[in-house]
Amino acid sequence: MKTEIQFTNSAIAVPPPKFSSKEIGAVVEFSGLVRELENGQKILGLHYEAHAAMAKKELEKIFRELDVKHPCEEIYFSHRLGWVPVGEASLFICIAARHRQAALALMAELIDRLKTDVPVWKSSAASTSQ
Amino acid sequence: MKIKVLTFAQTRTQLGFGEKDFECDASETPRQIFHRIAPQFDPGKTIRVAVDQEYADWDKPIGNATELALIPPVSGG
Repeated sequence: MKTEIQFTNSAIAVPPPKFSSKEIGAVVEFSGLVRELENGQKILGLHYEAHAAMAKKELEKIFRELDVKHPCEEIYFSHRLGWVPVGEASLFICIAARHRQAALALMAELIDRLKTDVPVWKSSAASTSQ
Repeated sequence: MKIKVLTFAQTRTQLGFGEKDFECDASETPRQIFHRIAPQFDPGKTIRVAVDQEYADWDKPIGNATELALIPPVSGG
């Protein structure tokens, strides 16, 4: 499986669709946006930090584990770090596979694992508005 | 030997630094090292430790590791 992982301090740039195999029949994309309410409080945005080197290793491990269960061809993963204003994307994932079932299942499990095992943290404390 | 200790999110506030080098011994465990450098710090059941960028056991000696990181509950996405 071809994979690419990025952590960026800039706005996430969605790459144009370009796949290495003509056998890809399903492409699933996910964007995670910063919502206006965090724990019931109105915020201006969120601040993200990561142990980026460890996060990349952990993601590669998760990709390998999930690829056994849900074989896919390509994963592009991009997570923004630093300040992310409300309405902008903090996360973008694109999964390409031969069949939709594998791509959809891998996407769902990958996001679940991101939220339990990948060392990335968000904080809204400094940005809370009235 | 020296080990680099990294803290993130609330653990950085609790320990008062983000990155610092400490003297340690290969036979020490992460729990022993943190007890020595931050006696008030209690990882409880929710804060994990990573040794050389891999999740590790709090009570296993660090061996020749060069990095220790405190990993509080993650919240990416």
